[in-house]
Amino acid sequence: MIGGGALDRGPWAGMLEELGKLPAFLRRDFLIAWSYRVGFVLDMVNILAQAVLFYFVSLLVDPRRIPSVGGVPTSYIAFVAVGIAVGSLLNLGMGRMMSAIRGEQLMGTLESLLATPTSGTTIQVGLVLYDLIYLPLRTGVLLALMAMVFDVDFRLSGVGPSLAIVAALVPFVWGLGAASAAAVMVFRQASGLVGIGGYVLGLLSGAYFPLTLLPPGAEALARLNPIALALNGLREALLAGTGWEPALARIAVLLPVAAVTWLAGTTAFRLAQAHERRAGTLGLY
Amino acid sequence: MPLSTSVPAIEVQGVSRDFEGKLALDDVSLRVGSGEIHALLGPNGAGKTTLIRILSGLTAPTSGTIRVLGIDGAKAGRNLQRLIALIPSGDRTFYLRLSGLENLLFFGRLYGLTFRTAAARARMALNSVGLADAVDLQTARYSHGMQKRLAVARALLIQAPVLLVDEPTHNLDPEGAERVRGLIREAAGSGAAVVWTTQRVDEIRGFAETVTLLHRGKVRFSGTVTQLLAHAARRTYLLRVRNGQVPSSGLQAALTAALGDEGTITTTSGDPDGCVLSLPEGVTLGEALARLMAAGFQILACRDERPAIEQAFLQLTGEGS
Repeated sequence: MIGGGALDRGPWAGMLEELGKLPAFLRRDFLIAWSYRVGFVLDMVNILAQAVLFYFVSLLVDPRRIPSVGGVPTSYIAFVAVGIAVGSLLNLGMGRMMSAIRGEQLMGTLESLLATPTSGTTIQVGLVLYDLIYLPLRTGVLLALMAMVFDVDFRLSGVGPSLAIVAALVPFVWGLGAASAAAVMVFRQASGLVGIGGYVLGLLSGAYFPLTLLPPGAEALARLNPIALALNGLREALLAGTGWEPALARIAVLLPVAAVTWLAGTTAFRLAQAHERRAGTLGLY
Repeated sequence: MPLSTSVPAIEVQGVSRDFEGKLALDDVSLRVGSGEIHALLGPNGAGKTTLIRILSGLTAPTSGTIRVLGIDGAKAGRNLQRLIALIPSGDRTFYLRLSGLENLLFFGRLYGLTFRTAAARARMALNSVGLADAVDLQTARYSHGMQKRLAVARALLIQAPVLLVDEPTHNLDPEGAERVRGLIREAAGSGAAVVWTTQRVDEIRGFAETVTLLHRGKVRFSGTVTQLLAHAARRTYLLRVRNGQVPSSGLQAALTAALGDEGTITTTSGDPDGCVLSLPEGVTLGEALARLMAAGFQILACRDERPAIEQAFLQLTGEGS
């Protein structure tokens, strides 16, 4: 019996079918990650090592040089704990889609993937879905470690607003990741360029040091950085327990920027796919 | 859009494709019906894989149209890929850390199968390609032949009405190659239209019904395999003949005299009984052998120097002389 499936799918049926494909990506990536069990353990060791490193750095930092957060004085280890969490979210989020595309190119599976009737959006989400679940868990583990081992006082009331800020930040990171993946798809060796972009964003985010330490021009620029905006919101929520009102104010600024970045990134990804089909170089690496 | 059975399963019309000014396909047209195995024959660089990639939606044509079951490829979007199962030529088309079963499950889900259906069909497909014992084995541990069979299993999984098969028997041992051909024959028997690319001319006879011969991006021949054989104008045979009354020094002259204008014959060095017989168009092998036997020669052995299909291939690609 030769099938091939019905062709006339309504928009809802089509969307449901595409959603139904996402667990397949999740299962695939979990099984692949699980096949490298040592990687899980090493990642946890890496988190701990980072925490230990910054703990010792914090002993050198005069707490008076750390600006108060939401009117509450804070230590460097508390300040940097949130920075590390968001920094790793940014780095992995931005790099994951790019490395996933590059990995598929190098493995030779990208063509097999694109030869299936799967939408570009589903592929984009599918490629990062595992990380969308794993990264917040990883971030949670990191913050829990900071709280337990280094006695950082996180406010439980700040968890809800923090999750809302992270949710608003995700489309921004996703957009950057999609744009990076598009660059890799077209130019292959674009990871250096993307790395520089990530570095600049990280430097101007205030993840590891207060923005007030930057030269005035750079500081003004950094204050426009959505990552810095999100970080400030997260610190206020988690370290000072400022609640929903300031968090929502941050989200209101963050959301339009995130939406534009997401739209630009996903459009770049679609254009890259179309370019590669036209050029006939989709499977080349 | 309803699927129509009155239209060809695959219709390629005037397709050209250039890569930075180099023409990989030049005005290629072909039609393949449901249940038909169509061989896309050609040497390396003929444009076979480019055409397969265009048919599967991975590469856009520079000009021309393709239709699959009557649906315009340029407007079909993802619907085109729903109708097509691709068996790519490369080995590296699977996730090597996953088992064969998990790979098929993943791709089955991307073709819209439910988990349960995908799992059931994946086991069936693995069984039918002889990989039942390797279901849970990591694909990285599969041999070259096993990976090829896994690619066939992936294509069978979705039961697509169009199968695009790109050099599947390349580097396979004869048994493995025959197994793959058997599976594709079965799929065609179930109604799938098959495009099978190969540069192995011996593979076509008794397997494909129709053939398009591509050479440097151009169609050199299109028709049935029998029609292709008709292009084998100059046929050459290796003979072993004996005539006790003719001394070996006079064998060449005696053979030429016996054959007359029904071909040319030359003795070979090394074998006192060996010679090469070439027949012009219009002369049958039987007529030539009858002439030799009438002159008192015994025919000890006779075989094609080169299969007729290979001769046709070389004739049409201009590499036969």
